[in-house]
Amino acid sequence: MRCVLRVEGLSYTYSRDLVALRDVEFEVYSGEVVTVLGPNGAGKTTLLKCILRLLEPRGVVYINGKRRWDELSSRELAKYFGYVPQTHHSIFAYRVLDFILMGRAPHHTMFSLPSRRDYEKVHEVAKLLGIEDLLERSITELSGGQMQLVLIARALVQEAKVLLLDEPTAHLDIVNSVRVLSVVRKLVKSGRVDAAIMAMHDPVLAASFSDKVLLMSRGRVVACGSPRDVLRPEVLREVYGVDFVRFEHCGFVVVVPRASTEV
Amino acid sequence: MSLRKLVPKLFVSFSLPLAILISLLLGHYRTDPKTVLEVVLSAVFPHLIHSPPETVRVIVLLYRAPRAIAAAITGAVLAVSGAALQSMLRNPLVDTYILGIASGAGFGAALAIAFLPPTVPVELVAFCFSLIAFMLAFVLAWSWGRGGVIALVLSGVIVNAFFSAALALVKYLAPDPHRLASIVFWLMGDIGQAAFWYKIMRMLAISLPCILVIWFMRWRLNVLSLGDEEARALGVNPTVERGLLTAICALMTSATVAYTGIIGWVGLLVPHIVRLMLGTDNRVVVTYSIVFGATYMVLADDLARCLTSEELPIGVLTTIMGAPLYIYLLRRASGVWR
Repeated sequence: MRCVLRVEGLSYTYSRDLVALRDVEFEVYSGEVVTVLGPNGAGKTTLLKCILRLLEPRGVVYINGKRRWDELSSRELAKYFGYVPQTHHSIFAYRVLDFILMGRAPHHTMFSLPSRRDYEKVHEVAKLLGIEDLLERSITELSGGQMQLVLIARALVQEAKVLLLDEPTAHLDIVNSVRVLSVVRKLVKSGRVDAAIMAMHDPVLAASFSDKVLLMSRGRVVACGSPRDVLRPEVLREVYGVDFVRFEHCGFVVVVPRASTEV
Repeated sequence: MSLRKLVPKLFVSFSLPLAILISLLLGHYRTDPKTVLEVVLSAVFPHLIHSPPETVRVIVLLYRAPRAIAAAITGAVLAVSGAALQSMLRNPLVDTYILGIASGAGFGAALAIAFLPPTVPVELVAFCFSLIAFMLAFVLAWSWGRGGVIALVLSGVIVNAFFSAALALVKYLAPDPHRLASIVFWLMGDIGQAAFWYKIMRMLAISLPCILVIWFMRWRLNVLSLGDEEARALGVNPTVERGLLTAICALMTSATVAYTGIIGWVGLLVPHIVRLMLGTDNRVVVTYSIVFGATYMVLADDLARCLTSEELPIGVLTTIMGAPLYIYLLRRASGVWR
């Protein structure tokens, strides 16, 4: 397996006493769906933003296992990482087609306009994700799940190798959560993208949709490995401060928080 | 392209030459369309068309034509910079004046009219001060906010307030009432001040390249309107590109406002009307804001010239015309913003 991303000694401090990341290290291989798991404030989003260089951290990220990511221009970086934000707050009611088309920006200069090929790319991706019927709609009319698929489509149109998703299920109900996560998993397993890294706070969904879990607490990596190894009740208790029960069924690991009896 | 959008596009495109022709006809001296066309054609092809009488030629070519062209340039500049700034600052309520330009220009003009000898051109002082005001706002925004959206808007507001106060002070200290009256008139805007071919050439020399740069970056404006984080994730450096575009908008607005005085609401209103008619994609909005801005201003200036026997101040007229038009469009398209 090819190493698509290696993170070494990544640290980030927002202000003097707010350390968001401390010495984060992990590797992602091609074909993997990695979940960065942890409670609110654990540093998941900060980690994604540091990998994307939206923030300037200490430490190094190697892409494709060898190139330092600070040697690349932001345009080259945008062709490697596709960022899917939690949601998009739009001021202007763009048509979905035009919105997805903006994902072609890294393939253009400041003054160039999208060509017929760029439009073909959008249609191809929309067909892949089954959102062709949304293309003529306005992005302000979309539901949470549809918006998430449109944002994923924009990242695919970028021709990114690695998808970085920031809490893709934060605003979704269970049906749409499963739909979006299945799409992400399918994209990775079919080889359309090399890997996907998702920030999530729900260990239940993380267990069933990822190959690797990176469990974080207060800016540190507590555990990293397969869901089976990482999602143990004693580890989860340490991170979340809540008791969990673990079941195994047909090779799947299921963790469920236990209702507290204390008042 | 759907018919629903093709019709307004054609309408907007043909309305500009039509508006300019209408303004060549209008005025105290009566002319008929045929003579006006002959004048225009004989100016373009002097050997082919027999020239009409000298009086008509002078009136059309030295008074009405430069006035219409000056109005068109002003409208295009104000509208396109409004469209660009609304997208870049992710705020549908701004126009170029948010950058401190209008109050800077107003202060400069007032200073020149009130205290400087008449040999110093008012437009030069106005131009310099509007650029100074913009640069102050820009430096302020960069020094504490790294050129972010909020920093730019707030710095603009601060600089605006400062120069408005300074302008009030100049008015208060103005040595005689005639000069005070001139200041007041200047502030209400007058296309007539710019209606000379040599002034038009100067306005064009600055605004044409600026408009072209914005027009070439029209798709990029879509990406910039996504917000800084998403723009950067798409490989765009929003602070640099926004800085460049803002400076361009400021430069060309200064160059026109210095000649025409302050004309409000065009930069705010025209891009909105275009969005309501043709959608939000900036590839369309920028292009048609240029055309429709020019048309709107030419027609507004015709009204200013011809509505009453005295000329009305154009800045007042654009606002009075704009408000009801805007309300009508908002009501008709109430689904878009709710």
